[in-house]
Amino acid sequence: MFEAPVQRLIDELARLPGIGRKSAQRLAFHLLHIEEADAVRLGSSIIDLRREVRLCSRCFNVTSDEECSICRDLRRDPTVLCVVERAQDIPVIEGTQEFSGRYHVLGGAISPIEGIGPDQLRMRELVARIDQEGVAEVIAATNPTVEGDATALYLARLLKPLGVRVTQLASGLPVGGDLDYADEVTLGRALVGRQEL
Amino acid sequence: MAIRHDQGIVLRSYPFGESHRVIVLLSPNNGKLRTVAKGVRKTKSRFGGRLETFCLVDLVLYEGRNLDTITQVSLLDAFSNIRTDLDKVVAAATMVEVADAVAQEHESAIRLFLLLRRGLESLDRRDLHPDLVTAFLLKSADVVGVAPQLDSCAGCGATEGLTRFSFGAGGVLCDRCRTPGAYALREGLTAYLARVAAADIAELPAPDRSFSGEAMGVARRFIEYHLEKKLESLAVLDG
Ligand SMILES: [Zn+2]
Ligand SMILES: [Zn+2]
Repeated sequence: MFEAPVQRLIDELARLPGIGRKSAQRLAFHLLHIEEADAVRLGSSIIDLRREVRLCSRCFNVTSDEECSICRDLRRDPTVLCVVERAQDIPVIEGTQEFSGRYHVLGGAISPIEGIGPDQLRMRELVARIDQEGVAEVIAATNPTVEGDATALYLARLLKPLGVRVTQLASGLPVGGDLDYADEVTLGRALVGRQEL
Repeated sequence: MAIRHDQGIVLRSYPFGESHRVIVLLSPNNGKLRTVAKGVRKTKSRFGGRLETFCLVDLVLYEGRNLDTITQVSLLDAFSNIRTDLDKVVAAATMVEVADAVAQEHESAIRLFLLLRRGLESLDRRDLHPDLVTAFLLKSADVVGVAPQLDSCAGCGATEGLTRFSFGAGGVLCDRCRTPGAYALREGLTAYLARVAAADIAELPAPDRSFSGEAMGVARRFIEYHLEKKLESLAVLDG
């Protein structure tokens, strides 16, 4: 193997998502040749991330304060909650500029096969917010996977009895795409979810 | 490099590299199959939703050194009604989890494949039968050669007074043979389990709801005993 400090870095890098053994080696040897100032900046930005960033106490978005900027924004509509699997889904939905409510990050999706049930997600925190914030509608913006769908179904089962309207993102064809390139599963769902004109 | 055809039911998948996924399938002829679908995590992937869990697909595979790569997928059945009902998802996930646990790589699994396909078809086409998962569990035990003995005592062969179930003995026991720790069966439950185990999974007899829950409990513990692991799927909505 390599000298201990090199090997240690390779091992650490290889634990990152999407980085295999080969890529970790390539990155480590690249880092071996960068300026010391660059190395310090990279190292401290990782440490700062851990020190300064935490989860919003209300919605579990990432923030450097007690609450995230969306939760603190008084112009946002507190009666509509968009429920997402991960915090990184929030900027994607924000990018649409179509949503003006607040968010709730579950921290994953229900996956029976992996043994991930509602108890491992932030469901209890969600239920607590319904009353506290006067939530009238919950939008399930989970991934269009078996797990994401199961999570949306569970949200409906959990929240409808509380008088909350539960909706799910429509799923269908990618805008700008060609119908004959669509797969049957996607097209089938687009058909089921068709809209009156 | 060789190209080959195969067929399978998607059991699960997990991320691999930046945008790929490893797709684990149950193939009738090759058992558990691990394959790579490149670029499938991108929204514009040409595989789209065809490689989602539970899908039955025809595959064209490009043989690799470790894992085969999927080059074409055609969808035979998505069993798409399962995904719109949470209890059906849990039932299907349980079947898939068991199939995943008992299937071996590079070993034909025709009976297991057919059982799983018929189980998923039943979930997709009909209302959820309360004994469907129980039947699947008992039948999959049979497929791997550990079918529980339900019509006579696993100790002496007696056909009367079968009041205990022993996971270790692999079936029911009579009062004389009962061992400490053998599970007490309510009157009629043994016959009920035997009836569910013997029925066609696509044509299960009308359920008796006073037995269904307990029958499932016995079948579940029996399978868990043999797999030496808990069935995660069934526990998901327990709480
Ligand atoms: Zn927040
Ligand atoms: Zn006996």
